[in-house]
Amino acid sequence: MKPILAVLFFTLAGNLYAHQPVMDMAPRWNNGYGVQTRIEHANSETTTWLEGVYTFKPSLRMTLKVPHSNGEIGDAIFAMPIKRYKNAGAFTSNWGLTPSVRMPTGGGSQWDAGLSLSYSSESRKVYQLYDLYTLGDTTGVDINVGLVHADGKGSSWFTLWDITAKDSDSGQHLLSGPVLVYFKRNLILRAEYKFSAYDDDSQWDGDYFSFGIGLVY
Amino acid sequence: MFNKTIAIALLYALLSTPLLAQNYVVNVNGIVCEFCAYGVGKKIRKLPFIDRSQYDQGVRVDIENQRVFVALREDALFDKSALFKAIESGGYNPVDIREIPNKEPVEVIE
Repeated sequence: MKPILAVLFFTLAGNLYAHQPVMDMAPRWNNGYGVQTRIEHANSETTTWLEGVYTFKPSLRMTLKVPHSNGEIGDAIFAMPIKRYKNAGAFTSNWGLTPSVRMPTGGGSQWDAGLSLSYSSESRKVYQLYDLYTLGDTTGVDINVGLVHADGKGSSWFTLWDITAKDSDSGQHLLSGPVLVYFKRNLILRAEYKFSAYDDDSQWDGDYFSFGIGLVY
Repeated sequence: MFNKTIAIALLYALLSTPLLAQNYVVNVNGIVCEFCAYGVGKKIRKLPFIDRSQYDQGVRVDIENQRVFVALREDALFDKSALFKAIESGGYNPVDIREIPNKEPVEVIE
Protein backbone atom coordinates (compact mmCIF):
# COMPACT_ATOMS: atom_id res chain seq x y z
CA MET A 1 0.00 0.00 0.00
CA LYS A 2 1.31 3.46 -0.87
CA PRO A 3 2.26 5.35 2.28
CA ILE A 4 0.06 8.32 1.53
CA LEU A 5 -2.89 6.03 0.90
CA ALA A 6 -2.16 4.30 4.16
CA VAL A 7 -2.36 7.57 5.99
CA LEU A 8 -5.52 8.61 4.25
CA PHE A 9 -7.07 5.25 4.84
CA PHE A 10 -5.93 4.59 8.37
CA THR A 11 -6.91 7.43 10.52
CA LEU A 12 -5.85 7.74 14.04
CA ALA A 13 -7.27 8.33 17.47
CA GLY A 14 -6.90 10.16 20.63
CA ASN A 15 -7.18 13.83 21.31
CA LEU A 16 -8.44 13.24 24.80
CA TYR A 17 -5.26 11.50 25.82
CA ALA A 18 -2.93 11.71 22.90
CA HIS A 19 -0.05 9.51 23.90
CA GLN A 20 -0.68 6.09 22.59
CA PRO A 21 2.08 3.66 21.64
CA VAL A 22 1.60 3.80 17.92
CA MET A 23 1.83 7.54 18.15
CA ASP A 24 4.74 8.11 20.43
CA MET A 25 6.78 4.92 20.51
CA ALA A 26 6.43 3.60 17.01
CA PRO A 27 7.01 3.32 14.19
CA ARG A 28 10.40 4.86 14.62
CA TRP A 29 11.85 3.68 11.30
CA ASN A 30 11.94 5.50 7.97
CA ASN A 31 8.75 5.18 5.92
CA GLY A 32 6.98 3.25 8.64
CA TYR A 33 3.29 3.50 9.24
CA GLY A 34 0.82 2.33 11.80
CA VAL A 35 -2.85 2.08 12.57
CA GLN A 36 -4.64 1.86 15.84
CA THR A 37 -8.17 1.62 17.07
CA ARG A 38 -9.04 2.53 20.60
CA ILE A 39 -12.17 2.40 22.68
CA GLU A 40 -12.37 5.09 25.29
CA HIS A 41 -14.96 5.48 28.02
CA ALA A 42 -15.28 8.79 29.84
CA ASN A 43 -18.07 11.07 30.96
CA SER A 44 -20.62 8.25 30.57
CA GLU A 45 -19.84 8.12 26.87
CA THR A 46 -17.95 5.61 24.78
CA THR A 47 -15.86 6.85 21.87
CA THR A 48 -14.07 4.77 19.28
CA TRP A 49 -10.97 6.35 17.86
CA LEU A 50 -9.35 5.47 14.58
CA GLU A 51 -5.74 6.56 14.45
CA GLY A 52 -3.01 6.49 11.84
CA VAL A 53 0.63 7.50 11.78
CA TYR A 54 3.24 7.79 9.05
CA THR A 55 6.94 8.17 9.86
CA PHE A 56 8.90 9.91 7.12
CA LYS A 57 12.04 9.50 9.19
CA PRO A 58 12.59 9.17 12.95
CA SER A 59 12.59 12.94 13.34
CA LEU A 60 9.36 13.59 11.44
CA ARG A 61 5.92 11.94 11.54
CA MET A 62 2.39 12.85 10.76
CA THR A 63 -0.66 11.58 12.57
CA LEU A 64 -4.40 11.72 12.14
CA LYS A 65 -6.95 10.87 14.82
CA VAL A 66 -10.67 10.60 14.20
CA PRO A 67 -13.25 10.01 16.94
CA HIS A 68 -16.52 8.20 16.40
CA SER A 69 -19.31 8.30 18.96
CA ASN A 70 -23.07 7.76 18.94
CA GLY A 71 -23.00 7.06 15.23
CA GLU A 72 -21.28 10.31 14.38
CA ILE A 73 -17.75 11.32 13.46
CA GLY A 74 -16.22 13.95 15.71
CA ASP A 75 -13.50 16.52 15.17
CA ALA A 76 -10.35 15.01 13.69
CA ILE A 77 -6.88 16.03 14.82
CA PHE A 78 -3.93 16.26 12.48
CA ALA A 79 -0.43 16.60 13.93
CA MET A 80 3.19 16.65 12.81
CA PRO A 81 5.43 15.32 15.61
CA ILE A 82 9.02 16.53 15.23
CA LYS A 83 11.46 14.54 17.34
CA ARG A 84 15.10 14.75 18.20
CA TYR A 85 16.47 11.39 19.31
CA LYS A 86 19.54 10.64 21.33
CA ASN A 87 20.90 7.10 21.52
CA ALA A 88 23.62 6.25 24.04
CA GLY A 89 24.50 2.71 25.00
CA ALA A 90 21.54 1.10 26.74
CA PHE A 91 19.48 4.29 26.72
CA THR A 92 17.42 6.13 24.16
CA SER A 93 15.53 9.39 24.58
CA ASN A 94 13.84 12.06 22.56
CA TRP A 95 12.48 15.56 22.73
CA GLY A 96 9.35 16.18 20.74
CA LEU A 97 7.63 19.28 19.45
CA THR A 98 4.21 18.62 17.95
CA PRO A 99 2.10 21.25 16.24
CA SER A 100 -1.46 20.12 15.66
CA VAL A 101 -4.80 21.27 14.36
CA ARG A 102 -8.29 20.10 15.32
CA MET A 103 -10.58 20.22 12.32
CA PRO A 104 -14.36 20.68 12.43
CA THR A 105 -15.12 17.33 10.80
CA GLY A 106 -17.81 16.78 13.42
CA GLY A 107 -20.05 19.38 11.91
CA GLY A 108 -18.94 22.55 13.64
CA SER A 109 -17.02 25.41 12.15
CA GLN A 110 -14.23 26.03 14.63
CA TRP A 111 -10.62 25.15 13.95
CA ASP A 112 -8.30 24.79 16.93
CA ALA A 113 -4.53 24.93 16.97
CA GLY A 114 -2.39 22.94 19.36
CA LEU A 115 1.22 22.51 20.42
CA SER A 116 2.92 19.87 22.51
CA LEU A 117 6.38 19.75 24.07
CA SER A 118 7.39 16.29 25.22
CA TYR A 119 10.31 14.26 26.48
CA SER A 120 10.47 10.50 26.69
CA SER A 121 13.21 8.02 27.45
CA GLU A 122 13.64 4.30 27.67
CA SER A 123 16.28 2.04 29.14
CA ARG A 124 16.24 -1.71 29.56
CA LYS A 125 14.09 -1.37 32.66
CA VAL A 126 12.45 2.06 32.78
CA TYR A 127 10.23 4.07 30.48
CA GLN A 128 9.11 7.64 31.09
CA LEU A 129 7.21 10.29 29.19
CA TYR A 130 6.41 13.88 30.08
CA ASP A 131 4.22 16.01 27.90
CA LEU A 132 3.03 19.59 28.21
CA TYR A 133 0.44 20.52 25.63
CA THR A 134 -2.23 22.94 24.62
CA LEU A 135 -5.11 22.43 22.20
CA GLY A 136 -7.94 24.91 21.80
CA ASP A 137 -8.94 26.10 25.24
CA THR A 138 -7.23 23.17 26.98
CA THR A 139 -3.80 23.06 28.56
CA GLY A 140 -2.57 19.82 30.04
CA VAL A 141 0.25 17.76 31.42
CA ASP A 142 0.57 14.04 30.84
CA ILE A 143 3.10 11.84 32.64
CA ASN A 144 3.77 8.13 32.12
CA VAL A 145 6.46 6.46 34.22
CA GLY A 146 7.07 2.78 34.80
CA LEU A 147 8.91 -0.45 34.23
CA VAL A 148 9.76 -2.40 31.09
CA HIS A 149 9.81 -6.19 31.10
CA ALA A 150 11.28 -7.69 27.91
CA ASP A 151 11.40 -11.44 27.38
CA GLY A 152 14.23 -11.30 24.83
CA LYS A 153 12.09 -13.19 22.34
CA GLY A 154 10.22 -10.39 20.66
CA SER A 155 7.69 -9.27 23.21
CA SER A 156 7.65 -6.93 26.15
CA TRP A 157 5.35 -5.49 28.81
CA PHE A 158 5.27 -1.94 30.08
CA THR A 159 3.65 -1.41 33.47
CA LEU A 160 3.25 2.33 33.83
CA TRP A 161 1.58 4.84 36.07
CA ASP A 162 -0.18 7.74 34.43
CA ILE A 163 -0.90 11.21 35.77
CA THR A 164 -2.97 13.55 33.64
CA ALA A 165 -3.88 17.11 34.58
CA LYS A 166 -6.04 19.40 32.47
CA ASP A 167 -7.13 22.98 32.63
CA SER A 168 -9.78 24.39 30.32
CA ASP A 169 -12.59 26.92 30.22
CA SER A 170 -14.82 24.41 32.02
CA GLY A 171 -12.42 23.95 34.96
CA GLN A 172 -9.64 21.63 36.05
CA HIS A 173 -9.36 17.92 36.70
CA LEU A 174 -6.66 15.44 37.59
CA LEU A 175 -6.71 11.77 36.67
CA SER A 176 -4.31 9.04 37.67
CA GLY A 177 -4.05 5.30 37.26
CA PRO A 178 -2.25 2.28 35.82
CA VAL A 179 -1.38 1.66 32.19
CA LEU A 180 -0.47 -1.71 30.74
CA VAL A 181 1.23 -1.91 27.33
CA TYR A 182 2.12 -5.11 25.48
CA PHE A 183 4.34 -5.38 22.41
CA LYS A 184 4.72 -8.44 20.23
CA ARG A 185 6.61 -7.87 16.97
CA ASN A 186 4.40 -5.31 15.19
CA LEU A 187 1.38 -5.64 17.48
CA ILE A 188 0.69 -3.24 20.33
CA LEU A 189 -2.00 -3.49 22.99
CA ARG A 190 -2.64 -0.81 25.55
CA ALA A 191 -5.12 -0.68 28.42
CA GLU A 192 -5.47 2.09 30.94
CA TYR A 193 -7.72 3.00 33.80
CA LYS A 194 -7.60 6.40 35.46
CA PHE A 195 -9.56 7.47 38.47
CA SER A 196 -10.56 11.02 39.10
CA ALA A 197 -8.23 12.34 41.78
CA TYR A 198 -9.42 15.93 41.55
CA ASP A 199 -12.42 17.30 39.72
CA ASP A 200 -13.42 20.92 39.49
CA ASP A 201 -14.50 20.65 35.92
CA SER A 202 -18.12 21.18 34.91
CA GLN A 203 -17.65 19.03 31.81
CA TRP A 204 -15.87 16.11 33.48
CA ASP A 205 -17.51 13.33 35.41
CA GLY A 206 -15.93 10.23 36.89
CA ASP A 207 -13.24 7.82 35.85
CA TYR A 208 -11.63 7.00 32.51
CA PHE A 209 -11.00 3.74 30.71
CA SER A 210 -9.29 3.02 27.41
CA PHE A 211 -8.27 -0.05 25.44
CA GLY A 212 -6.37 0.09 22.15
CA ILE A 213 -4.97 -2.26 19.53
CA GLY A 214 -2.34 -1.08 17.06
CA LEU A 215 -0.26 -2.47 14.24
CA VAL A 216 2.85 -1.00 12.66
CA TYR A 217 4.55 -1.81 9.38
CA MET B 1 50.50 -38.90 -13.77
CA PHE B 2 48.66 -40.25 -10.74
CA ASN B 3 50.01 -37.50 -8.48
CA LYS B 4 49.09 -34.87 -11.04
CA THR B 5 45.53 -36.19 -11.19
CA ILE B 6 45.24 -36.13 -7.43
CA ALA B 7 46.66 -32.62 -7.31
CA ILE B 8 44.15 -31.41 -9.89
CA ALA B 9 41.31 -33.15 -8.09
CA LEU B 10 42.31 -31.59 -4.78
CA LEU B 11 42.65 -28.18 -6.36
CA TYR B 12 39.22 -28.53 -7.97
CA ALA B 13 37.69 -29.65 -4.70
CA LEU B 14 39.26 -26.73 -2.91
CA LEU B 15 38.12 -24.16 -5.44
CA SER B 16 34.65 -25.58 -5.76
CA THR B 17 34.02 -25.56 -2.00
CA PRO B 18 32.06 -22.39 -1.22
CA LEU B 19 33.75 -20.13 1.26
CA LEU B 20 31.81 -19.90 4.45
CA ALA B 21 30.20 -16.53 4.66
CA GLN B 22 31.34 -14.56 7.62
CA ASN B 23 28.67 -13.33 9.98
CA TYR B 24 28.96 -10.03 11.79
CA VAL B 25 27.95 -8.44 15.03
CA VAL B 26 27.24 -4.72 15.27
CA ASN B 27 27.13 -2.70 18.46
CA VAL B 28 24.16 -0.35 18.25
CA ASN B 29 23.49 2.55 20.57
CA GLY B 30 20.02 2.82 22.09
CA ILE B 31 18.59 -0.50 20.98
CA VAL B 32 17.00 -1.43 24.30
CA CYS B 33 13.51 -2.73 23.56
CA GLU B 34 11.81 -5.46 21.57
CA PHE B 35 10.13 -2.85 19.47
CA CYS B 36 13.49 -1.25 18.67
CA ALA B 37 14.65 -4.70 17.60
CA TYR B 38 11.64 -5.16 15.37
CA GLY B 39 12.25 -1.93 13.45
CA VAL B 40 15.96 -2.51 12.94
CA GLY B 41 15.46 -6.14 11.96
CA LYS B 42 12.82 -5.13 9.45
CA LYS B 43 15.25 -2.78 7.70
CA ILE B 44 18.22 -5.16 7.74
CA ARG B 45 16.25 -8.08 6.29
CA LYS B 46 15.65 -6.08 3.13
CA LEU B 47 19.36 -6.05 2.31
CA PRO B 48 20.33 -8.40 -0.53
CA PHE B 49 23.30 -9.97 1.23
CA ILE B 50 21.39 -11.18 4.30
CA ASP B 51 21.05 -14.94 4.71
CA ARG B 52 17.50 -15.35 5.95
CA SER B 53 18.06 -19.02 6.72
CA GLN B 54 20.04 -18.15 9.83
CA TYR B 55 19.03 -16.52 13.13
CA ASP B 56 15.57 -14.96 12.91
CA GLN B 57 15.39 -14.49 9.14
CA GLY B 58 19.02 -13.41 9.02
CA VAL B 59 19.07 -11.09 12.03
CA ARG B 60 19.23 -11.53 15.76
CA VAL B 61 19.07 -8.62 18.16
CA ASP B 62 20.49 -8.83 21.66
CA ILE B 63 18.77 -5.97 23.47
CA GLU B 64 20.49 -6.92 26.72
CA ASN B 65 23.85 -5.89 25.27
CA GLN B 66 22.76 -3.64 22.38
CA ARG B 67 24.16 -5.95 19.71
CA VAL B 68 22.80 -6.94 16.32
CA PHE B 69 23.95 -10.19 14.72
CA VAL B 70 23.65 -10.45 10.96
CA ALA B 71 24.09 -13.55 8.81
CA LEU B 72 25.48 -13.09 5.32
CA ARG B 73 24.75 -15.03 2.18
CA GLU B 74 27.71 -16.88 0.70
CA ASP B 75 27.00 -15.71 -2.82
CA ALA B 76 26.53 -12.02 -2.14
CA LEU B 77 28.82 -9.10 -1.61
CA PHE B 78 28.71 -7.61 1.87
CA ASP B 79 28.18 -3.86 1.94
CA LYS B 80 28.98 -2.49 5.37
CA SER B 81 27.77 1.04 4.65
CA ALA B 82 24.42 -0.33 3.47
CA LEU B 83 24.13 -2.29 6.71
CA PHE B 84 24.87 0.80 8.79
CA LYS B 85 22.38 2.86 6.79
CA ALA B 86 19.73 0.21 7.34
CA ILE B 87 20.28 0.37 11.09
CA GLU B 88 20.13 4.17 11.02
CA SER B 89 16.93 4.11 8.99
CA GLY B 90 15.56 1.81 11.69
CA GLY B 91 16.11 4.66 14.14
CA TYR B 92 19.35 3.70 15.88
CA ASN B 93 23.08 4.38 15.70
CA PRO B 94 25.59 1.66 14.80
CA VAL B 95 28.86 2.10 16.63
CA ASP B 96 31.22 -0.59 15.37
CA ILE B 97 31.23 -3.95 13.65
CA ARG B 98 33.30 -7.10 13.89
CA GLU B 99 33.39 -10.45 12.24
CA ILE B 100 32.17 -13.46 14.14
CA PRO B 101 34.70 -16.28 13.79
CA ASN B 102 33.00 -19.24 12.16
CA LYS B 103 33.30 -21.41 15.21
CA GLU B 104 32.38 -18.76 17.72
CA PRO B 105 29.08 -19.59 19.33
CA VAL B 106 26.52 -16.91 18.73
CA GLU B 107 24.62 -17.33 21.91
CA VAL B 108 22.62 -14.35 22.99
CA ILE B 109 22.12 -13.71 26.65
CA GLU B 110 18.41 -13.40 27.28
